[in-house]
Amino acid sequence: MTDVILEKVGKTYPNGYHAIPSVDLSIEEGEFIVLVGPSGCGKSTLLRMVAGLESISTGELRIRGERMNEKEPAERDIAMVFQNYALYPHMSVYDNMAYGLKNRGMPKDQIAEKVSDVAKMLGLTELLQRKPRQLSGGQRQRVAMGRAMVRDPKVFLFDEPLSNLDAKLRVQMRVEIRQLQRKLGTTTLYVTHDQVEAMTLADRLVVLNKGKAEQVGTPMDLYNKPATPFVAAFIGSPSMNLINANLTEQGIKISEALTLPLSHQHRGGIVWGIRPEHLEVSDEQNADFALRILAVESLGAETLIHGKIETELGNGEPMVVRLSGPHLPEVNSLMWLTAPVSHWHLFDTKTQQRL
Amino acid sequence: MIENRPWLTFASHATLLTGIALVALPVWMALVASTHPASAFGAGHIPLWFGDAGAETWGTVLFEKAGNGVDTPVWFMMLNSLIMALGITFGKIAISLLSAYAIVFFRFPFRNLCFWIIFMTLMLPVEVRIVPTYEVVANLDLLNSYTGLTLPLIASATATFLFRQCFLSIPGELVEAARMDGAGPWRFFFDILLPLSRTNIAALFVILFIYGWNQYLWPLLITTDDAYYTLVMSIKRMLSVTDGDIAWNQIMATTLLAMLPPVAVVIGMQKLFVKGLVDSEK
Repeated sequence: MTDVILEKVGKTYPNGYHAIPSVDLSIEEGEFIVLVGPSGCGKSTLLRMVAGLESISTGELRIRGERMNEKEPAERDIAMVFQNYALYPHMSVYDNMAYGLKNRGMPKDQIAEKVSDVAKMLGLTELLQRKPRQLSGGQRQRVAMGRAMVRDPKVFLFDEPLSNLDAKLRVQMRVEIRQLQRKLGTTTLYVTHDQVEAMTLADRLVVLNKGKAEQVGTPMDLYNKPATPFVAAFIGSPSMNLINANLTEQGIKISEALTLPLSHQHRGGIVWGIRPEHLEVSDEQNADFALRILAVESLGAETLIHGKIETELGNGEPMVVRLSGPHLPEVNSLMWLTAPVSHWHLFDTKTQQRL
Repeated sequence: MIENRPWLTFASHATLLTGIALVALPVWMALVASTHPASAFGAGHIPLWFGDAGAETWGTVLFEKAGNGVDTPVWFMMLNSLIMALGITFGKIAISLLSAYAIVFFRFPFRNLCFWIIFMTLMLPVEVRIVPTYEVVANLDLLNSYTGLTLPLIASATATFLFRQCFLSIPGELVEAARMDGAGPWRFFFDILLPLSRTNIAALFVILFIYGWNQYLWPLLITTDDAYYTLVMSIKRMLSVTDGDIAWNQIMATTLLAMLPPVAVVIGMQKLFVKGLVDSEK
C-alpha cells in the first residue's frame, strides 16, 4: 500500500527563491527512504514540508490518501527526530517522551505503559528520571527517537539525526535505527548528507540536487546504474572518476593521444566514468592506459592511488584507483591499468543522462 | 588567580571592611537613633550606642501611628507598599512575557516596529509623562486606589527586552518539536517557555520589586487618602512637619522598616537572581 505520496511538490520562498521546483515521490508502507544530497540541495526543506514545518507552495502531499498540505504538524500523525535532538531541557526523559501523548489527552496510565515499553526497547529505563543535560550524546539521541516512537506515528522523519555524534557511535546508532525501523515497520523518511549512511540505511534512495530528484532507486541501482554524472559522483567513496570525452567511430576519445575502443551509435560529447574500485592493474601490453602516480593513501584494507593519465602528449585527466589490500607503489612511477568495459558509465554531456 | 602574598590579602580585606563600614554606618546610626528619645538626635551630638527608648518608639511606630502627622501605623503602610510593589512586579512580568512572546514567536505585520516602539518607551519613565498620566488616571477615577498606584507603572520596555533576548536564545528546533508534539500557543507558553525562563523571571522579580517598592513620586501624587499611603512616601511626609520637633527616632525606625522587604527579597532570591543574570539552562 502506498503510504506517502508527494505529487509535484514544490517550494518557493516569499523572496522568490525557488528552493524546490517539483518533486514526485511515492513511498510504500514500511519503506525506509533516504533523502541524500549535498548541503543546500533542499533535502531538509523537503522533509520539513512533509512535517508541516514549511508550507508547500505547489503540488500535493498525501499521507494514507489524505491531503496534508493544510494540516498542522501535530495533525499529520508523524514524528520527527531533529539534528540537535531538541529535547525539552527542563523536563525529565519520561516527560520528554510523554509530552506529545499528554497533549493528545491520553490517560495517564496508558502514557506510562507506552513510555515504559519504548524505554525498555531503547534501553532507557534507568534514565527515565534524568534531565537531558545529564545524558550523553548517544543517550539524548535515543531519547529523541523514543519521543518519536511512543507516538506510534504513521511516518518517522529524521533530519540528519546522527551528525552530532562521534564516528563510532554514529555507526552503532545507524545499525540500531535500521533494526528498530524493521521491527516497528514504520514508514521512514531520513535526511542525510552522508552517502555511507544513505547507502546502508535505505530501502530506496532519493538523490537530490538543487531541489530536483536526480534519481530514485535502491542503493545498488544507484551504485550500478547512476542516471546522471551527479549521482555517479555522489554515490560511492571515493567517488567515480568522471572524464569529459568524445564518442567517435573509433571509440571514446579521452584526449588527443588516448582513445578507448567502443562501438556505440551515439556521437558527440559524453562523460565517461569508471569507479576507482573497478580499475585493474595490468602489464604494459594489455593495459588501456598508464597512470602517473601523484599520491598514495594506504588504509590497510585498501589503498587509494591518486594520479593522472599519462600519454605521449604529457599527463592529463586526474584519476583515482582503489586497490584492495596494502600496496606501496612509488610516487611518480607509472602504473598500467585496464578499465573493463562492463564497468563503464556513459553520460550525454548535453542532457546529462545515462546512455 | 592563585597568589600567596599576605600583605595583599590583608590590604584587600581591609578595603572590603572599610567599604562595609561605610555602607553600614548610616544604617547603624538609624538603628541607634531609633532607640533614643526624639530630642537626642536633634540636640547636636549623635549617639553611637543604643538608648533606652527603643521599645516605646518601635511599638508606637509599628502598631499605633508613624507620627509626625502620619496617623496610620507602619505595618499598614507596609501592606500598601507591598501591594503596590507586588502589583507592579507581577504586572510588569506578565505584560512583558506576553509582549516578548508575541514579538519573538508570531509573525504579524509591523512586528519589528512594535518592538521598537515598546523599546522607545524606555525614554518615557513616569517622571517624564507624569502630568498626562495623572490626568488619565484622574479621568478614569483611579486616584486613591491600588489600580491607580500600579497600573501606570506596569508597562516595561526593559523587561520586554530581557525576555525577548531570552526567548531568542531558545533554539528553533525546540519550538518545532513542541509543535510536532501538538502543543498549541498556550501550551507552548506554559509548558516550555515559562519553565525555560524561570531564572530570568526570578532575576527580574528582584529588580522590579525593588523598583516598585521604592516608588516615591507617583504615589505621592495620586494618593490623598491615608488608606493608600505607601511607606516610602510617608517618610517624606513625616519630615515635613511645620511646627514642633521632628521625631527623628520614629523616622529612623520607619526607614529601617522600609528597608527590610527589599533586603529580604534580595537575600531570599540571591541564588536564582545571579543564575538568571549569568547563565542560561539552554
